[in-house]
Amino acid sequence: MNRLNHLDTLKIRPDESVTIEYLGKPFQGAAGDTIATLLYGGGVRIFGRSLKYHRPRGLYSLNGECSNTLMAVDGEPNVRGETTEARNGMVVEPQNVKGDPARDLMGFMDKLSPVLPAGFYYKMFHKPASLWPKAIKGIRKAAGLGKISPHFTMKGSFDEIYLNADVCVIGGGPAGMAAALAASQAGLRVILLESRPWLGGFFDYRPGLYDRGRSLADRVETDPNIRVFTRTSVIGSYTDNLITAFCRGDGSDAFDERYLEIRAKSVVTSTGCIERPLLFAHNERPGVMQISCAHRLIRTWGILPGTSAVFSIGDDLGLEAALDLADLGMEIQCVADVREDGQNEALADRLAEKGIPLFRGWVAAASDGDPKVKRVSLTAINGVRSREFECDLIVAGAGQTPVTGPLTLAGAKQRFDRRTGFFLPVDLPRKMHAAGRMLGYIDPDAIEASGDLAGVKAAADCNGADDSKIREAEERLGDLQGPARGTKFIIGPVKTGKTFICFDEDTTVKNVDQAIAGGFDVPELIKRFTAAGTGPGQGGIPGHNLPLYVGLTGQSPDLDPRPTTVRPPLTPTLIAAYAGSNHDMSKRTPMHEEQVKAGGRMERVGVWHRARRFGDDAAAAAEIENVRNNVGILDASTLGKFRIFGPDVLKALDRVYVGSMSRVKSDRMLYSAMCNEDGCIIDDGVLVKRGENDYYFTTSTGRAGSSAEWIRYHTRYENWDFHIVNLTDAFGVINLAGPNARKTLEKVADADLSNDAFPFMGYREFSIKEIPVRAMRLGFVGELSFELHVASSWMPALWKIIEEAGAEFGIRHFGLEAQNVLRMEKGHLIIGSESEQRTTLHDVGLGFLWHKEKREADTVGAAALRHTENQEGRLKLVGIEAQDPQQTPRDGSIIVDEKIRGYVATARYSRTLEKSVGMALVESELADIGTQLEIFEGEKDDERLAATVVPMPFYDPEGRRLRM
Amino acid sequence: MLKKPSATAKPLWKKAPFKSSYDAVIIGGGLHGLATAYFLARDHGMTNIAVIEKRYIGFGGAGRNTAIVRANQRTQENVPLYKEALELWPVLTRELDFNLMFYNCGNLNLAHSDAALKAMRTNVATARFHGVQSRVVDPKECKELVPALDISERPRYPIFGGMYHPPGGIVRHDAVVWGLAKGATAKGIHIHQGTEVTGIGVSNGKVVSVETDKGKIATNRVLNAAGGYSAALSWNLLGMKLPISVLTIQAMVTQPLKPLLHHVVSSGAYHCYANQTLKGEIATGSHMDPWPNYTTQTTARYIKHQAEALIEMMPCLSGIKFMRTWGGLADMTPDMAPIMDGNHPHEGYYLDCGWGYFGFKSSTVTGKYMAQYMATGQCPEILAPFALRRFQEHRLMGETAALVNYTPDN
Amino acid sequence: MALTITCPICGARNGYEFRYGGEEKGPKPDEAALRSPEAWCDYIHFNRCKAGAQEEWWFHRDGCGAWFTIHRDTVTNREIPGKEAGI
Ligand SMILES: Cc1cc2nc3c(=O)[nH]c(=O)nc-3n(C[C@H](O)[C@H](O)[C@H](O)COP(=O)(O)OP(=O)(O)OC[C@H]3O[C@@H](n4cnc5c(N)ncnc54)[C@H](O)[C@@H]3O)c2cc1C
Ligand SMILES: [Zn+2]
Repeated sequence: MNRLNHLDTLKIRPDESVTIEYLGKPFQGAAGDTIATLLYGGGVRIFGRSLKYHRPRGLYSLNGECSNTLMAVDGEPNVRGETTEARNGMVVEPQNVKGDPARDLMGFMDKLSPVLPAGFYYKMFHKPASLWPKAIKGIRKAAGLGKISPHFTMKGSFDEIYLNADVCVIGGGPAGMAAALAASQAGLRVILLESRPWLGGFFDYRPGLYDRGRSLADRVETDPNIRVFTRTSVIGSYTDNLITAFCRGDGSDAFDERYLEIRAKSVVTSTGCIERPLLFAHNERPGVMQISCAHRLIRTWGILPGTSAVFSIGDDLGLEAALDLADLGMEIQCVADVREDGQNEALADRLAEKGIPLFRGWVAAASDGDPKVKRVSLTAINGVRSREFECDLIVAGAGQTPVTGPLTLAGAKQRFDRRTGFFLPVDLPRKMHAAGRMLGYIDPDAIEASGDLAGVKAAADCNGADDSKIREAEERLGDLQGPARGTKFIIGPVKTGKTFICFDEDTTVKNVDQAIAGGFDVPELIKRFTAAGTGPGQGGIPGHNLPLYVGLTGQSPDLDPRPTTVRPPLTPTLIAAYAGSNHDMSKRTPMHEEQVKAGGRMERVGVWHRARRFGDDAAAAAEIENVRNNVGILDASTLGKFRIFGPDVLKALDRVYVGSMSRVKSDRMLYSAMCNEDGCIIDDGVLVKRGENDYYFTTSTGRAGSSAEWIRYHTRYENWDFHIVNLTDAFGVINLAGPNARKTLEKVADADLSNDAFPFMGYREFSIKEIPVRAMRLGFVGELSFELHVASSWMPALWKIIEEAGAEFGIRHFGLEAQNVLRMEKGHLIIGSESEQRTTLHDVGLGFLWHKEKREADTVGAAALRHTENQEGRLKLVGIEAQDPQQTPRDGSIIVDEKIRGYVATARYSRTLEKSVGMALVESELADIGTQLEIFEGEKDDERLAATVVPMPFYDPEGRRLRM
Repeated sequence: MLKKPSATAKPLWKKAPFKSSYDAVIIGGGLHGLATAYFLARDHGMTNIAVIEKRYIGFGGAGRNTAIVRANQRTQENVPLYKEALELWPVLTRELDFNLMFYNCGNLNLAHSDAALKAMRTNVATARFHGVQSRVVDPKECKELVPALDISERPRYPIFGGMYHPPGGIVRHDAVVWGLAKGATAKGIHIHQGTEVTGIGVSNGKVVSVETDKGKIATNRVLNAAGGYSAALSWNLLGMKLPISVLTIQAMVTQPLKPLLHHVVSSGAYHCYANQTLKGEIATGSHMDPWPNYTTQTTARYIKHQAEALIEMMPCLSGIKFMRTWGGLADMTPDMAPIMDGNHPHEGYYLDCGWGYFGFKSSTVTGKYMAQYMATGQCPEILAPFALRRFQEHRLMGETAALVNYTPDN
Repeated sequence: MALTITCPICGARNGYEFRYGGEEKGPKPDEAALRSPEAWCDYIHFNRCKAGAQEEWWFHRDGCGAWFTIHRDTVTNREIPGKEAGI
């Protein structure tokens, strides 16, 4: 490894070597290298091939502005080589190429470019029509960069943290550090986010400023009020100061990537600048690189970017870089500066001392060489003269571009500023501040002062305004050098070849011209039409040049150029990182484990896990038979359970239930339903009275979460005094059903359970082996049954007692499928299964539950129930019987003649009845008993099943069994 | 062999002078507005028509959607409309001489419960009853169709099966906007971009004019096709309220990849759908942010939700990166079906809205029938079920079987 | 966007703790007034869909369980503090 190890600005640890595999060969670098610097240090110059033209691409930037160094790492595609730290043993492969990108077989695509103008897809491949399906195959194959296997599994650990702070500072350069220190001095808790592994930003690679940056960083890192996150990229910024970011582990961290969500009272954005790429022919040929890329390569990584360089620059940073690189031993043939004057003369003098010619008012016109740079031609910007130089490196940049994403995402506008040539953030959201180089400051003192001012303002957001402090900070900044003048330069006199405005999408200025000629006159549309800025680097390369160029060539040059919209994430972010620890919120009943042990097949039902059946039989035949003949036990703990009480409770109940709730007697349950304002049934359940103005009611599982909210909603204008307590999780429920249910329970209960003492629809409270239970005699499954509500903590004990008591009667579990069949045989509906969104109480035949005469209650849905009471042409719930018992229509089949007339809600072959029966919603004209129906299952197009409308219930129509 | 297109591109659509009178004015240069304009000219010879667009064509949902097309809806009122829409893509590609890039990859919708399978069977039967291909598939076949799926018991919502619908796919949304604009202006229709409708003049129960920030237009027919803004427009300009809630909905794309997904995949339980565009990006979208908004800002909540859902469904996606999120507006009705109506309560006032997050796929065919409606004054039979009156008549459409959860009433 | 909502009981909280409850339309007219399908539909289903400041209902679902109204600008998705809303 041939590095300049003596530099004190290095961020690598040269004596700690790191080896990765690239194209099957080992490459060695140093701890601290990125994949790209390691490979560059190892002599790799061509990193990949471009998307459309398969042009060779090399190291151009270091911050992920473009996709040139996207590579596959350990099977993970599109990893940014230039920002990903190299780790021992990584297996790295180039993308969009077979083998070595230096010798790509698809390179001929580049020659096709004249027939592939902007938006060419829209104008091609559709004539003749039969061409298109074939073309799709080709397009798909050619498209896309990385490759991922459908069987890929992501290694590593991912988590997430949620933080609160007084002040969140984005960007750990000098301005950000100054802001953080100012806020900390005001006694505030500060979070500082920096995407590089170290603090320092603009100062950290510049010889004269490195120490100054280091000492700021030391102060920040030791400040107890400041929590520093390095390796942390901000990806989102939202109103009310919500910042999202992800943090890469440093190799010793417990996570590989960590998602961060930060809510701060105030935010300072000090994200600095990236470079505005220089537009010239073949401006992305390997060997062309950004100024800061060349400068950082040598200063931070100790790598000489080339042997003989030509610079084409647009600001003093370019001059400074040329001098520094020359000092460190690189041959610099000349520096072309687009500015005709206005250079920092001290820098110009030093160049002259070194014998490096400075061409003022000159710029690169084209690079040459295949595949790497061999030559550059420079031209005077008026185009009259030109010169050529042999070189292996072109260091090129047009100027600077502020990184404003965190501000614009949160709603700031951008305005073109003629002095800096920047799109400057304006109309910042409240409690958001900008600072530093992104505002155009270039003087180190001014950068820090600007950060300090932002920090003071952020402190005022938190502590209350302190105008004098703000004024002092403003004055300090005012005394310093203001924002620097930026170059107005957009494009030189380029004559031939491709000038790329966007590397990722291979969009050339010619493509942009074509779009403008096609009538696309705003940058946002040109972006869509040419795809510029829609690749992995997003706006990193074209973000600034595209609107400038459009402004230059568009019809209305007097209008200020308008930038395109920046969208989150600001850095492409692993889906694994966003998912973080990927919590699943779900609930288990107290009997979960017990049921699993008993062979329960658990399924997700809403937030709950419930047993669908026990054992392999999908039809749950044995479970069903056992309930009909012996006794079964079901865990119904997921039922919604509520206490509602208070002086105005009856008013509230009459408002939300369709029935008249004052009719409920203390030892009997009342079955009733709730409708929405459309009169459509949304819930049913029972209500019991447990005391004066004190009731207990059940809802379906699905409504447990929303019932309290819903009841409160429909009483929100009333000043009624009542309270609702959701007891769903507090109580478990056992449903004990079957002819032997009483015998089982009698063995253990301390109460008289005889039919006289505890009749059907009765409610009792008693104890079972000293466990207090609330018992209801219900009959959902159509048999003698007891529903026992018990404090959740007692559930397992009670369950065990009952199971033991029932053993001699053949007690066994039953699950949801058995329950479904049993209740269907009985003609009991499940809301959502036998009803749709548009199904009214009348439609399901429960209209009798509606108590019309309680007008004063203003029952929810009453008006609609009145409107629809006798409405024609509605879908009604009916019982059906299949003509052929062996051909049970599937749930969800449709009922048809020449049109669709209805839907099969639930249908099963009933072993009990030895026929196939079900429930269906059919148009009212077809609802009469005896009507013949044709059912289409959607399997075979000409196959129809025959069924007849029959009365319900199918099983025990007189209801004797539940009254046993 | 590829032919070299002419070096100097011609403008795709013509700019036109602003006139003070048109036979009809269409508010909104989105899909529905442009399609209606195109068909007014194509089928009814009406070319003295203005499309008024506040920003630029395709600014609204037209340029923000994920362009999924299919015809396996739940109800017989909907399926025929969407079936015809599917058949129109190749026809329009030819007619407009503009490749709308219909990528007929088919759609796989996943079921994660028996109830979901049952719902799918209804859709499948309804589709096939109308001659639209669709079938219920088991988990194994789901995996064959989309190898990236995890069909084991591990995920939060294991896969019970699915509904596979071969005739669907995706279309290039921008192409539809630009192609229709090209076709409409070629027939003489005027598109005025950067022009906002600010008023509708009504006299004796009839529409007489439209006011814009560029001047007043005399006309006796106006179509409100303002997408997410249509309800506010109706209220502001005519004092007419609509059963609509406008919510923000988001979509996002990953970095481009070599072919991985060969079908559109969607799952109601995860509130998530994904497909791979011809460019190689995985485009994916989720549910709406559950409160009304006219902002198209995105949220931290949804991109995270999307990541969690995607890797449950297709674990390999954890290794790829989100690149861009954006938001658009969804104008939702209580029954998730649109409102298409006319001459009520004002003669000459037509409505085509409530298309929520599903109005891309139908845009061309709706344009065809709304054009017929506007040209003849008679509601085409196929549009009759979509009348506004259904809400007061308690005849919700049934497109969604389950209760919708964005109104507090449910 | 990242809505913050001020609950009268719990103070300013993350908007996702709440559930939206519709435009404030005033108390529901009584049943007799809702006899006409038009009046019923107007109150139950129709919205103004205002782009700008509107008064609207929210429920503190992951909190105290109160229903209350706030003013919010639907264009910026920001709550308008009581005094700016003129209350
Ligand atoms: C994220 C997202 C994903 C989606 N995915 C799909 C999908 O996969 N499949 C699908 O079928 N659908 C999808 N949709 C829905 C689809 O985009 C919309 O239903 C469709 O765009 C509606 O078309 P439109 O023409 O009615 O409205 P829009 O396309 O929104 O056009 C309305 C136009 O009216 C203009 N306008 C508004 N007010 C005025 C005024 N006062 N004066 C003049 N002009 C005005 C607007 O600027 C806008 O351009 C999605 C939507 C979104 C937001
Ligand atoms: Zn609260």
